[in-house]
Amino acid sequence: MAGPVGLATAVGLAGLGFFVLAVRRELIFKLLGLHVASGGVGLFLVATGHRPGGIAPILGLGPGPTVDPLPQALVLTAIVIHFATLALALVYVIYLTERHHSQDAHRLEREEE
Amino acid sequence: MLALAGLILWGSFAWGPRPLAPSPAQVTAGYGVRNAVAAVVLGARLWDTLLEVLVFAVAMAGVRFGLSPLPRAGKPTPLPESHLLARMGDVLFAPVAVFSLYLALSGHLGPGGGFPAGAILGSGLLLLALAMGMEPLSRRLHEGTLERLEYGTVAALLGAGVGMGLAGRWGPGWFVAVNLAIALEVAIGAWVVLHRFAAHRGEL
Repeated sequence: MAGPVGLATAVGLAGLGFFVLAVRRELIFKLLGLHVASGGVGLFLVATGHRPGGIAPILGLGPGPTVDPLPQALVLTAIVIHFATLALALVYVIYLTERHHSQDAHRLEREEE
Repeated sequence: MLALAGLILWGSFAWGPRPLAPSPAQVTAGYGVRNAVAAVVLGARLWDTLLEVLVFAVAMAGVRFGLSPLPRAGKPTPLPESHLLARMGDVLFAPVAVFSLYLALSGHLGPGGGFPAGAILGSGLLLLALAMGMEPLSRRLHEGTLERLEYGTVAALLGAGVGMGLAGRWGPGWFVAVNLAIALEVAIGAWVVLHRFAAHRGEL
C-alpha cells in the first residue's frame, strides 16, 4: 500500500475506533473500538516508514532504498501487547457483567457510587 | 488539539523532505543477521522486546487468575459431528506447526520471527481445539506443564537477555534461540486465553 493511502486509511481507522470508544456505552463495544483504533495506530506507524520505491529491509534483497525498519519493529511488539491487554480487559468486562448484569458504562458508574 | 493533529498529519504525509531510511547493511552490522527488523527487535531494542514478553506473561497470568473465581460454564455445548473438520484438523495441524517452526528458525534471515510464529502455532492449536473439543485437547496438552514451561521460558529469556546484554556477543544462534523461545511463549499464551475463555464462557 502506498504511503499516503496507508496513512489516510490509518487515520480513518483510528478515527472510527476512537469515535466508537467515545460514543457507544457498552463496554464490549468500547473494547472493539479500542481494538480498531489500535489497528489504525499500528498502520499509521508502519506507513510513516514508507519510502517511495522502498523494498523490505532485508539484506540481499536488491539495490535501492528500503523502508524504515524501526516502526515495523515497534508495531510488531505493539500487536502482541495489544492482544494480551485486550484479553485482560475482556476478563474484567466478563467479571463486571457477571456481577452487575450490565455492560452499560453509565449504569455501572451509578451502581458503583 | 487540532493544531497538534494537523502538525502530526503535516509531518507524516511527507509534504516535507523525509530522511532516507538506513540501509539494512548499516542496521544489521555486528549482529550477523540479514533481517533488519529482527536486528532492531532482538538487538538494538532488546530490552523493549524482553520486557514486552514479561508484560505478555503477566497479562496471561492475569487472565488465568482473573477468570478463576468466576463460575465455569456448565457442560460444554457438544460440537457438531463433523468428520471433515476432525480429519482436516488432524491433517492440517502438522503443516501449520512445521511452518511456525520454520518462521521461528528463519526469522533472522527473512520475513518471520518469534511473534508471528507463536501466533500461527496458537491458531493451529485453535484449529485442533475446534476439531477435538477444548477439554480433550487441554488434557492431552498437560496444561500444568505448559504453565510451568511458560514461566520458565520467560525467566530463561530475561536471564539470557541480561547475560547477553552484559557480554555483548551477538550471533545468529542467539536470534534463533530467542525467536524459538518467544514463539513458544506466545503460542502458550494464546492457548491459555483460548482455553480459559472457552472454559468460562462456553465453547465457540
